This record gives sequence, structure tokens and C-alpha cells, in this order.
Amino acid sequence: MTNPILQARGLEKTYEDNGVPVHAVRGIDLDVFAEDFLVIAGPSGSGKTTLLNLLGALDTPSAGHVFFEGADLSSKSKSELAYLRLQRMGFIFQAYNLIPVLTALENIEFTMMLRGMEKAERHARAQAVMEELGIAELAHKRPNQMSGGQQQRVAIARAIVTDPAVVLADEPTANIDTATGNALLDLMERMNSEKHITFIFSSHDPQVIGRGKRLLHLRDGRIDSSRG
Amino acid sequence: MILLSLAWRNLWRNTRRSVIVLTSVAIGVVATVILDTLSRGMVFQMLNNQVGSHVTHMQIHRAGFHKNPVIQSTIADSEQIENVLRSDPDIVQYSRRVVTFGLLSSATNSSGVSIVGIDPERERSLTTIRSYIVEGSYLTGAPREIVLGKALAEKLEVGLGDRVVAMASAKDGTMGSELFRVAGLFETFSSEFDKTSIYVPRSSAQTMLALGSEVSEFAMLVTDPDRLTEIAERLRGRLGEEYEVLPYMDLLPFLVLQIELYDQSMVIFYVIVGIALIFGIINTMLMSVFERIKEFGVLKAVGMKNGRILIMVLTEALFLGMLGTVVGFLVGYLVYLPLSTSGLDLSAFSGSLRSFGVGAIIYPVLTAGVITNALIIIPLMAVAGAVYPAVRAMRLEPVHAIRYV
Repeated sequence: MTNPILQARGLEKTYEDNGVPVHAVRGIDLDVFAEDFLVIAGPSGSGKTTLLNLLGALDTPSAGHVFFEGADLSSKSKSELAYLRLQRMGFIFQAYNLIPVLTALENIEFTMMLRGMEKAERHARAQAVMEELGIAELAHKRPNQMSGGQQQRVAIARAIVTDPAVVLADEPTANIDTATGNALLDLMERMNSEKHITFIFSSHDPQVIGRGKRLLHLRDGRIDSSRG
Repeated sequence: MILLSLAWRNLWRNTRRSVIVLTSVAIGVVATVILDTLSRGMVFQMLNNQVGSHVTHMQIHRAGFHKNPVIQSTIADSEQIENVLRSDPDIVQYSRRVVTFGLLSSATNSSGVSIVGIDPERERSLTTIRSYIVEGSYLTGAPREIVLGKALAEKLEVGLGDRVVAMASAKDGTMGSELFRVAGLFETFSSEFDKTSIYVPRSSAQTMLALGSEVSEFAMLVTDPDRLTEIAERLRGRLGEEYEVLPYMDLLPFLVLQIELYDQSMVIFYVIVGIALIFGIINTMLMSVFERIKEFGVLKAVGMKNGRILIMVLTEALFLGMLGTVVGFLVGYLVYLPLSTSGLDLSAFSGSLRSFGVGAIIYPVLTAGVITNALIIIPLMAVAGAVYPAVRAMRLEPVHAIRYV
């Protein structure tokens, strides 16, 4: 059995909402292995997005630990966590969150630019990913010139172009129609099987839940059930 | 380059807002450029009037004369100095003068004056005093002619052809005096100069003051006024410590100080204008940052460091400041161009201006200082105005910012 790339031990997150403590995540233990296609499901308020944020080093736990490739994230500074996210993780957001003044190609190149990659290399990689995802013709279009599905494809390209260890996707199909959502899931499954990219989804969409090789169902911040 | 491109494109997300801020920056720069060039023109005119009408680029005296201008402190060996000046390639023209303080009296009144004995022919190509003659003529070289300021003539109640008596201490300790006939009246840019200066033939002054062939000073013009210090140093080396070689900066210290203070005050003025503009920049950049909270959250989520976010926001402000400055400078330059030839007519204030030694028409002067002040100070102030919004952007927590509505 290989070592997990992501581990959560006794993970808890409490935040205040108008002075009232909200226990979003309560004592979760979790292992994520390479090439996992894991879906964290649950109704609204179940803590799935909070858990995803904790696993993605976007948030810090109130208690417990997250280990990424063996390293305890609680020992890292904000700057080190930002570096970690840039180098080893990819993110796909519900609202695509592309930079509106950059073209599709520039959006995809952006994280490579932040990593200091040479222009020629990042351009070549961006072009290759766009070809692979069937969005090469969108290279010079800005987000306001694309459909939701196209934008999300660009967001997927941005997330995977740096060969991350793990891609975290928060409700990736929330703002698009069923057919487009299915097509995107096909795409991500293909990236998972052909390029061995690990995906962790947070979603309440039955489409997404049905595709997960592993499923974690949350309720009130705890693991209610699991599959796979 | 993507970051620069991103910063530039961010400016135009809200074109109307950016144009409003740019316009305010440009207007501020136009105002400061026009004021700066006009003020410099006025100061330069003050200096040029003084240098051109009497002081000239440089003077040579016997050592100590400038601090203690007594008639006994004369240059005995003019030939030695003339040999040096004739052989120096940077000396364009020179003339010998007798200078002393004395009293000028008419039948009705008297006044303390600076008596300057000159060689009219040589002085024609040395100073511009001849061009200020408003009545009569400049000295022709005939003995006992006098040219004085019109204001002085009015005080003494004399006109062309009238006789006046000049008196001063002579070198031999006696009281020298001479009768002169008014040949001409001048009116310069300086009312003070007009009230206190008189010109007579050098020979008449030498006779009156028992100087023989001695003179008080050599006045001269050089090829390149910007190299005055270097030329003066060279002449000092050749003439020795017996003489003092003084560029106009040493002869007009208060005026030079005034110019230096003016430079500093203009910087302060630019900063004040910049501070006024800063509030517009702060407002614009804050609105821009708040509109992009979600985007900043995503940028931080994918790993963009705080430092880069700070630089990006500051760069946007720098672009705003620079673009407004360039536009404002170009407009200011277009206003400056016709004014530089026609001048700005301030006749309504001519009385006050004359007391400062400035004419009624001011010609703006564009210098490297104007350009650097405008192109550096205002953009820097724009960046300063963006610091607070940039820090706010930097401190956003990605997990909250991504969900901002």
C-alpha cells in the first residue's frame, strides 16, 4: 500500500458566525492516495467545502493536523503554504474564477508564470493542455467571450497544467448545465486515468457523486458514510 | 510581463473611473508645469536682468574689494590682467570700471548713488544698459557726460541737459567732485537700480577720484556661463592671490539663494499637489481592490504571494500616475510653447514686479528640473496613495475572499 499524499487526523474547524460558534468540521480522519478520484459529498452546511479548504491549505484547522506528502501543514507559515499550493496543488472553483482581463491562454500560463517558468516553456505547455482539453480555439478569448462550460474547461486546464500532486475542485459543475457537466467530468476522469492526477471534489451534485471512485459523505461536520 | 500586462489591463476595467482620475492628475500636472515654468522664467529674468544690465558674468577686483569696496582698493596694474584676459579663450569681452559710492546733487535735491565709470564703447557689447535708455542717449565718450535712472532724475528734478554734481571720497583722501551734464535717462527692470546707479566716462571718474590710470574692477562675459566656476578657478590660478575673481553667483548671493530656495519650494508645491491627488488615487484604488476581492482570493489560493499582489496594485497606481503625468505634461508643454515666445503680460503688476527686478512680460522657462519634478514626484505620490489599498489586498484571507459577494 502506497503512502497517502494527503492525510487528515482529528481535523476540526470552528468559526464564528455573528458571535455564534459554528463547528464546521468535527474530528475527521482521512487518507487520500495518489490517483484517487474522491468525492466529498453532503448537504449544504455539512462541512464539505470547509474540509476541502483545510485539505488544500487554504484554511487552518482549529484542531488536528493535515499532512501533505508527509509534511505537517500546521508547521508552515502562510507564505510557505502559498508556495506549496503553487507548486503541488491545483484548484477548480465553482464560479470558474478566471482572471477577467487575461485571455484563456494567459489564465492557463498564469500559475506557471508565478512559478518562474520561462515564457517559451509555459506557452508550449499551455498550448498542449489546451489541445488536450479541446479548447485550443479559445486561446485568445477573454472569459466574457466564453460560455460557462468553456470557462470551466479553461479553469481545469489552469489547474492541471503544472502537473500538480492533487487537484481540489469545489462544486465544479454547480454553474453549468447537465450535459456540459458530464463532459467536464469525462474530461477530469480521463486526466485521472491517463495522467494519474489525483482529484478531490466537494459536491452535492448527483452527477459528481456518481462518478467518484471513492465517496465520503459528510453530515454536520462528521463522516457519515464512506465508499471505496 | 503578464503581471505588468495584468496591472495595465486592470486600469481599464472601469474606463470612466480611470479617465476621471487621469484627468485630475493631468490637470494637476498642467497647473504645476505652467506655474513652474513661469516662476522659473521670472527668476531667470531677475538673474539675467542683473547680470545683463550691469553685473556681467564675472568681475575681477583687488582682493578684498567685494567685502570692503573702498576707493583705495584699486587695480594698479591693469595691463597684467588684460594680458591674461586677452589670452583666455573663454573670455568673450571685458571692460574696465571705476566703482565707488557717493552723492549726486542737483539744485533741488541730492541722493546717495553708486558711481560707475565706464568705457562706453566696450560696455556696449558687455551690458544691455544702453537698451534701457528712454530719454536722450547713452554715453558717447565725451567728458563729463552722465547717464542716470529716470527715477533718480525725477527725485533730483533734473532732465536732459541739466547739470548735476557728483561727490565721493578720492583715493588721496580728499573729497572729489565733478560737474556732469545729463546725457540720457534709463529705465531698467529694477526700480531700485534706477534710483541708485549712475554711469559716467571712466576718465572723468578717474580724474574726480584721483585714481590716475587705476580702476576698481574688470567686468567680463564668458563663452559658457555654465562653466563659470571652472573659468574663474583658472583665472585665479593665473592672477594669484592679489586679486579676487568673482562669478556672478558670488556677486549676487541673495539672488542665487533665492533661486535655490525657489527650486526647493517648487518641490514642496509639487508634493502638495501630489497630496491633493493622492486622495483621488486612494479612493480609486480602494474601489478597484474591493471590486476584485474575489479575484485576489483566487490569486492567493493558486499561490500568488503577498509581495506580488502588493506590487501588482502599486504598479496599477504607478501606471495611473505616469499616464496622467505624461498627458498633463504634454498639455502643459503645448501651453508653454506659445507663451515662451509671446510671454505672459503682467502689466497690471508691473510696479511690484519692477521692485523685484522683473519686467512686465514674463517668459516661461522649461528646464530639466521642471521635467524631472513633474515626471517623478507625481507618479511617486500616486504609488504612495496606493499603499493602503495594496496592503488591504495583501491581507485578504483567500478562503474568505473567494466567497466574497
